[in-house]
Amino acid sequence: MSKPSDLVQGTLDLLVLKILALEPLNGWAISQRLRQVSGDILQVSDGSLYPALHKLEQEGWITAEWKPSENNRRAKFYSLTRFGRKNLEREAANWTRLSGAITSVLGLEEA
Amino acid sequence: MRLEHWIYMLPLRLRSLFRRRQVDAELDEELRYHVERKTEEYIAQGLNHDEARYAAMRGMDGLEQRKEECRDVRRVNSIENFFQDLRYGLRMLRKSPGFTAVAVLTLALGIGANTAIFSVVNAVLLRPLAYPEPDRIVNFFLGNHDIEGTSVPIYMFWREQTEVLQDFALYGEVVKGPGVNLTSTDHPELLRTIHVSAGFFKLFGASVEIGRTFTDQEDVPRGPRLAVISDGFWRRRFGADRSLVGKSIPLGGEPYVVIGIVRDLEPIHSAWNSLGPSLHIDTPADVWLPAQADPNSADQGGSYRAAARLKPGVTLEMARAATNVAQARFRQKYPSERLSSFSFNVEPLSDAVVGNVRLALLVLMGAVSFVLLIACVNVANLLLARATGRRREMAIRAALGAGRRRIVFQLMTETLPLSLAGGVLGIGFGYSVVRVLLAGNSVNLPRIGTHGSDVTLDLRVIIFTMLTATVTGILFGLIPAFSASRGDVNAALKESGARSGCGRGQNKTRSILVVSEIALALVLVAGAALLMRTFVALRAVEPGFETHNVLTFEMSINQPRFDQTTAVARLLRDAQSRVVGLPGVEALAATRSLPLDPNPDYEPINIEGRPPAKDRYQNWAAARQVSARYFEVFRISLLQGRLFTERDDERTPRVVVINETMAKAFWPGYPLGRSPVGERIADVSSANEEESPMQIIGVVADVRDAGLGSKPEPMVYVPIEQRSDVESAADNLFASMIWAVRTNAEPYSLSAAIQRELRIASGGLPVAHIRSMDQVRAEATADSNFNMMLFNVFAGIAILLAAIGIYGVMAYAVEQRTQEIGVRIALGARPRDVVRMVVRQGMRLALTGVFIGVMGAAALTPLMASLLYGVKASDPVVLTAVAVLLSAVALVAIYIPAHRAAQVEPVLALRLE
Repeated sequence: MSKPSDLVQGTLDLLVLKILALEPLNGWAISQRLRQVSGDILQVSDGSLYPALHKLEQEGWITAEWKPSENNRRAKFYSLTRFGRKNLEREAANWTRLSGAITSVLGLEEA
Repeated sequence: MRLEHWIYMLPLRLRSLFRRRQVDAELDEELRYHVERKTEEYIAQGLNHDEARYAAMRGMDGLEQRKEECRDVRRVNSIENFFQDLRYGLRMLRKSPGFTAVAVLTLALGIGANTAIFSVVNAVLLRPLAYPEPDRIVNFFLGNHDIEGTSVPIYMFWREQTEVLQDFALYGEVVKGPGVNLTSTDHPELLRTIHVSAGFFKLFGASVEIGRTFTDQEDVPRGPRLAVISDGFWRRRFGADRSLVGKSIPLGGEPYVVIGIVRDLEPIHSAWNSLGPSLHIDTPADVWLPAQADPNSADQGGSYRAAARLKPGVTLEMARAATNVAQARFRQKYPSERLSSFSFNVEPLSDAVVGNVRLALLVLMGAVSFVLLIACVNVANLLLARATGRRREMAIRAALGAGRRRIVFQLMTETLPLSLAGGVLGIGFGYSVVRVLLAGNSVNLPRIGTHGSDVTLDLRVIIFTMLTATVTGILFGLIPAFSASRGDVNAALKESGARSGCGRGQNKTRSILVVSEIALALVLVAGAALLMRTFVALRAVEPGFETHNVLTFEMSINQPRFDQTTAVARLLRDAQSRVVGLPGVEALAATRSLPLDPNPDYEPINIEGRPPAKDRYQNWAAARQVSARYFEVFRISLLQGRLFTERDDERTPRVVVINETMAKAFWPGYPLGRSPVGERIADVSSANEEESPMQIIGVVADVRDAGLGSKPEPMVYVPIEQRSDVESAADNLFASMIWAVRTNAEPYSLSAAIQRELRIASGGLPVAHIRSMDQVRAEATADSNFNMMLFNVFAGIAILLAAIGIYGVMAYAVEQRTQEIGVRIALGARPRDVVRMVVRQGMRLALTGVFIGVMGAAALTPLMASLLYGVKASDPVVLTAVAVLLSAVALVAIYIPAHRAAQVEPVLALRLE
């Protein structure tokens, strides 16, 4: 289970972006938050989180900053950029459309 | 949106590239923080410290792999990796200097040979001609390059085509033309002279240093005597005296006013010579004189060249069409003219300059690329052997998260320093080879300058070499890299160090390499053998005359006082009486062209008493103007009738001597039946209509006049003393007088004395181009000599590399099987059996290579057919001999490790593990 195979491709990015839209967080905190909000339904391996974060940073969607953390140790905090926020809105809209479509297909009455 | 993306990304990329250490440290810290927090979490859940830490690490699912993934995301990774691998590669090479030296030297050999040949190809074929818009200049020629020159009337028809062409130029030949004497000074000198029309300087972009060039008004019949001289000649002879312009200098006995000094022009000559080997002399002209051709002339004699520039937007095809129109008009006006029967053609000037040398050079280029391929294969083999020792290393790398691509890239980057070092060494090696090769005068190539001075290491050669080196590195790096990256990590890690990498796959790759190496070498050796046969066959050709102890001198008598035959005849008599009196001189002859140095005229003939041929150009013969003693000097034997004597002169009836081929061609049944001796023939070319027929007085043996490799042609020998005045004047204009002296001592030892007597006899004319006939003969085989020599060197390198290759593979195979062989010996196998076993294994590879090579040679050698003489391209004897030779070499290379295998001490072998 090295890859979040149970997550639709790109969903992890969307989740991370949304979480960061609320407040800047470090990697460990993001993983905590992911587990809390999804209620353990979405299994995200810690291992795959960091490459995803670095990728988003490289894309310019999020930016990083070293700050003291909750326990006063230095940690890398990620926050959403303006560019990232635009992309989050677009991706979220896409997701809503897509999941809506899938839901309506699944909701078809069998003849 | 795109732009915004880059604004965010660029600083990050640059940061990861240039602050790599910091970025890496941050990555470490970030992940460490995560693991620590995670560990704390697990401890809070009740695990002890170690268990908690272990759980946290498992959650990361391979910390190091994750780090690598994060680095990958940053993309600039490939650049970082490259430098890292490069450093690592260099370290590895330093650690095994023996391997490095062998590999680099092998590559330098292969790359250097390519640099050498490419630098010649570059100078001859690729370097643009040193004229303005050289690719827009077209050369006019007749037939299939089988007519030596163009006549003035043809040129006049061609230059009507002004719709498509401009800057027309008519010019004589500098190489074969007779030149003009600079006389009435203390040192008379034969100058390289071209007669040119006024447009010549514009077409070829002559840059005038002082003064001017001819105008159209001066380029008219009986125009003023003007000369433009070259910068080189001006400096050499006149010490760069600026006041020379406007003064007159004596040329050919007449004063010519120097009107301009022009920077030396790249020599323009045609390398085409369907008659045999042509001699390329890359000496620029000293003097240009106005052609002053009569536009209304009907004289179809002469040997001019013509060229022009395509007008803007005009293609070569359009110029061809226009040239065909010129031909149609010419035919209309001169329907029965001999030249009407040849097509009028244009070609890019560069084609004319390079001629049929292109094929020879391309064949050499092909051969030398085979050498490089073999070198590549050898180095790949070496690398493969080394890679087997590094299987564990590769497996560990793979286990630590290196992808297959990454490993292949790493191995390839390691080979890059090898190939680049090979390239740099190769440039030096190749360049010195070229210098040695071209240092002698024996190489017969156009555009290479004196002693090859124009073959230089220019940017193109260096780029070519470094590109070759890089591609080579990729080529030989790829095979071992793929072979090493393949395979099972677990198996490799479990294998014990010493015995790792003995997998079948590895041996298979190496076997394929050896087979291809032998096949490539065989093709090269076959080419070399064919050229060697050609050389031997040419050497064995009986030229039909005795070359030994004959010395020749060229003299231009292109001046008004020799315009009449009586003057020429007097010159011959005076020279005869002066030179033959010298000690060591047996006989003197004069001729307008030498055997093997083909420049004869072709004349249409009719035989008296026979109905004229329907097409009056159906019967033709080559004609050579000679003096009475020609046959004596060259020892050409008389078969029937008599030879010329001094009494056959302008007052006696015209006579000719013909050769055996001519006799056989026109007198069926010769030497039986009706003898040609006593019959009369007429030269029916237009200029000679009114001349009386000539009586055949003798038949002589054939001479290979048109080159050693060509069949003798019908030949008519005409006494110089019996030429008409018109003919003599034309002869003087287009050909030198060549003196040939038979000596009974070393010919060059008499050179000074003969020169002195010739100068006195001619009233102070210089001689030039002094060559013994032995030298002329050597020049006639220079092309095949050059090709053969190079091919032999290439083939030698190829055999050596192939032998090393198969030796290496077999030695390795034996080493791997030491234990097995020990067991066999312990169980009673005799040394002989062991040797046989190893040899059988090796020879199976060798013979497969030989077989493929023979197929390849049979397919490829026809490409060089036109370079061969006396042997067919896929000669079975040659192919068999080459196959046997390569098998024998392979056998020797295999026998050494086989013999070693037989010496294996069973006890030692068994203890090995």
